[in-house]
Amino acid sequence: MDFQWIELVQSVAVVCGIATVLAIFMVIADATIGNYGKKKLIINNDKEFEVEAGHSVLTTLKEQGIFIPSACGGRGSCGLCKLQVDEGGGDYLPTELPWITEEEQKENIRLCCQLKMKNDLKVTIPEELFNIREYEVKVDKVIDLTHDIKGITFAFQGDDEMDFKAGQFVQLEVPEYDLCEETIYRAYSIASAPSDNKRFDLQIKYVSNGICTTYVHKHMEEGETITMNGPYGDFYLSDTDSELIFMAVGSGMAPIISILLDMAEKGIDRKATFLFGVRTMKDLFIVDELKELEKKLPNFKFVPTISRPDETKQWDGETGRLTEILPKYLKNPEKTEAYLCAGENVINSYKAKLMELGIPEDKIYFDSFG
Amino acid sequence: MKQSPQLSKAEDAMKPGVITKEGFLGSDHRHLVDVLIEDDAEVARLGLTHEIIAEKMKLFKEEGLKGEGLTIDVGENFEVNVESVRGKLACPFGEPGLISKNNVGVINKKTKKKIYFTDFHIHMIEKHGFYQGIGSPYRVSPKELMETLEIESIYQK
Repeated sequence: MDFQWIELVQSVAVVCGIATVLAIFMVIADATIGNYGKKKLIINNDKEFEVEAGHSVLTTLKEQGIFIPSACGGRGSCGLCKLQVDEGGGDYLPTELPWITEEEQKENIRLCCQLKMKNDLKVTIPEELFNIREYEVKVDKVIDLTHDIKGITFAFQGDDEMDFKAGQFVQLEVPEYDLCEETIYRAYSIASAPSDNKRFDLQIKYVSNGICTTYVHKHMEEGETITMNGPYGDFYLSDTDSELIFMAVGSGMAPIISILLDMAEKGIDRKATFLFGVRTMKDLFIVDELKELEKKLPNFKFVPTISRPDETKQWDGETGRLTEILPKYLKNPEKTEAYLCAGENVINSYKAKLMELGIPEDKIYFDSFG
Repeated sequence: MKQSPQLSKAEDAMKPGVITKEGFLGSDHRHLVDVLIEDDAEVARLGLTHEIIAEKMKLFKEEGLKGEGLTIDVGENFEVNVESVRGKLACPFGEPGLISKNNVGVINKKTKKKIYFTDFHIHMIEKHGFYQGIGSPYRVSPKELMETLEIESIYQK
């Protein structure tokens, strides 16, 4: 019996000894194998930073206060964070290639969330991205615009302010909560006029299991502080006299309302029509504000459209899908620019109809959130 | 059945933080091969095939797309909404290319049951017979799909 006990204790001691040696080995490996030391990051052959290597280029740039648009927070699933890497990038990684066209490969465009900073690196970054900053903003007001869309006003604190163009978007950082073990970023279009650079509005629709939308709809409270960065994007009004047709459904209204408010403030009274689609009357929101804009912009017409009218409620407006009513409102396609905000499939459907009706493809601008 | 090296590689890719933050296996600690075998058996028991299920899911997606971003009635029993979600995902089984993430929501008005799936689910079910692990927030079980989408069993035909 004593002998069996001694054998058991010896076995346990051996197992513990091996585990300890392995743990020490892993600690040493972690500190050395992945340690690339300090490297140079040269931007636009102008700015030079000495950085701790080993992280993704996206993270490394963020640590230097340079924000590259990314909707997935660096997971390689949105393909937005493309950047020209002039030197030091090495070969393309399998996780980058599905996102990079052959044309882009010739220009050394890389997906900077996947590319790790292992060597000295030279990159080219468009100047406008240097205006992007990270801010701590206060959630000033949260209102229900509809049963599934919230309107949130964020206020900059202290001396902070953000200049943006109507139609641009920001990225919100979702803090850790039960659906989200580490912070992630999600992109949303600004829904307010750029004249107020101390505040901005977002319109966020609830998506089942959506990490950010669940946080906004079920956890976000007035008064709390949120981290965000921006502004991003090139979906803004051209400086021409062309007629305008805007098309959006639901929360796709956000960048368009920002553009319209900006037009009203600046007195840009181009002939404009906003075709806005929802399913039922209970899905309509800020109709009064948009009708008010018709008074400020005499050449502007707001066309709320319901795809499934309720027979028990009176509705004198348009019914059907936006592509069905489009021919009625598009009078001079060759002189019209179209501005669309919707998911990728819907954009494709709108584009096809607009082109069929005679709008040239290069006059169709869109903010696709898909 | 023993798990092949290919399935072990796919199982690794399904862990949290590799392709998606949450991964695809949830709290399921079984090997991928066992997850696949069990769902395969369930599909057979229901009198279905993965292809039949995937075809019906595709049909609802195609009908939903006609709503142009708005919820649309499909037949008398269903409401369907298709929304594009930004981003694409790689297949954990290593197939080339990326799969888009159109979100399809189907409500069966008769039973009040709701189900949400994406292009990614359709691909996983059609090509790999994979419905995600038990406890995964994005798992859609064969039975749930059959009941909500009213997929006819071959035993009923």
